[in-house]
Amino acid sequence: MSLLKPFSKLPNINTASILLVESEEHLQQSLADVLVEESSITVNVRLAKSLPLPKENDKDRPRIDLVVFIINLSSEQSFISAEASLKYLDPGYFLGKVCFMVTSARSAAVPTERMDAVRKLAASLHSPLLFAEHQTSEGVAAAAERLLGILKVSAGVVPMTTALYLSNLTRCTLPTDIEQPSFD
Amino acid sequence: MNDPGKCLLKRVIRRIPANMLKTTLSHWGRVSDAQLQSVDFTTSKWALTEKLLNICEENELTVKHVTELEMIHVIDYPNLGMWYAFQLFDPDDAAPSVDMTQFKEQFKFHLSKLMRNVSVKIKKHTDEAIWIRVAWGDGFSRPNHMKPTYVVHHLQSSYVFVTRLTSKLKPLLSQALVLSTRYQGIKDANLSGRNLAALRNLLMRQYQQVFSTKFSTPLAEKSENISNPQIEREQAESATKRHQMACEAFGDGVLPQLQSAVYKLETKFRDHNNKTMTDREEPFKCIVKFTSTNLLESLRHCASSGIASTPVTPLLSSVPVKGRNYFVITDNVPGSSSQTNRPQK
Repeated sequence: MSLLKPFSKLPNINTASILLVESEEHLQQSLADVLVEESSITVNVRLAKSLPLPKENDKDRPRIDLVVFIINLSSEQSFISAEASLKYLDPGYFLGKVCFMVTSARSAAVPTERMDAVRKLAASLHSPLLFAEHQTSEGVAAAAERLLGILKVSAGVVPMTTALYLSNLTRCTLPTDIEQPSFD
Repeated sequence: MNDPGKCLLKRVIRRIPANMLKTTLSHWGRVSDAQLQSVDFTTSKWALTEKLLNICEENELTVKHVTELEMIHVIDYPNLGMWYAFQLFDPDDAAPSVDMTQFKEQFKFHLSKLMRNVSVKIKKHTDEAIWIRVAWGDGFSRPNHMKPTYVVHHLQSSYVFVTRLTSKLKPLLSQALVLSTRYQGIKDANLSGRNLAALRNLLMRQYQQVFSTKFSTPLAEKSENISNPQIEREQAESATKRHQMACEAFGDGVLPQLQSAVYKLETKFRDHNNKTMTDREEPFKCIVKFTSTNLLESLRHCASSGIASTPVTPLLSSVPVKGRNYFVITDNVPGSSSQTNRPQK
């Protein structure tokens, strides 16, 4: 079992690398196309269906600064696959270098339990949970912009802040009413 | 012209799209050019029908002539009904030498022997297909032209495509076909769909097929060209492998349009968590049906995107391989041991 480690490689100057993990591969390609257009820093995007990543690519893979799990709420498989992939990440990543991105959250066909499950997962790992609209180009652009904000911090190109510090502010917290029965 | 003829003409005119009406009528050739010029094709269908009825009366056309028009329309728009494929088997020595005139004579002869009141029209289309229109009557009534059966057959091929055939008349048609094509028998090919050309292409293997090779294919190069150097797929190799396998199973490029695949399961229920169902002796009957506007392309996408596991299960790949979309799965058939795991989609 090969763990993906956050500090096993040296960073490159003015470069940030992001890993998009999505089992369906719907959003990741369009998101990647928007992300690489960022002009202030060089963004490297790696796309994966699930973790672990193949060993052959270990050498030419840059240091991954941010791992994004894209979960499509309309498919159970998507959540299961993301959950299974989490095992292959070094615990160091959970200090602010992981985030979850949820799509199709507005769809009426999505069971609410699934949303709660994703929220619990993100909260238990102290990671931020983002929502994205994958059907329109505006939605993808907005999602890319939010990811870039987090990516720049976790790659260390923003002075005076760190990924751990940012994640304290952005991490997902569990609303109290999920666990406890309401009094009525 | 009598009443059935008028009814039929009205219906045919109603079915032909307004922009195609003029070309179809000139193709028909029963209305003179001068008469066609006098018709104003911008008026409503109802007014047009009245006008055409008058012209047909003038030319003393009968039901027979109107059926020609209907045939032209059905040949132009074959995808309006459900087509069923049948397969002829065990050809005689004389089967390869059956030609159009012989077939035509034989078919009419045999069918009229079997049924007294039957009207048959046979037409050869440009792509070598023989189109047969059969209007059925019974012993006492005249042929009903409102519910004709259409049959398409390519001479020297063993497939026959039929639409709008009732089960009562099936034995008669089968017998006439078998005798006139010089085969020993005919059976249901378990393939049906709305698109006639697709059924034909699937059965005659006229789509882009992919065969497994050891060497990397142009496919791999294709996907490399478009990608940005800053975007890298970590599992690109397995993705191309999946894609290759999916293409090997279903074919590359545009696939024949099938609308559904039906699996009738008559296997024992197998689930380790559910003892009461598993212990039952009799098979657990259920029907699994996949529908899509283009089923084969959806299945290929499922396999290449990893939603369905690769290598593709023989259950799914036998749709193009065997050219069927109706399967009955029983326990004693080899290769059907894990049928209770329904492929998800």
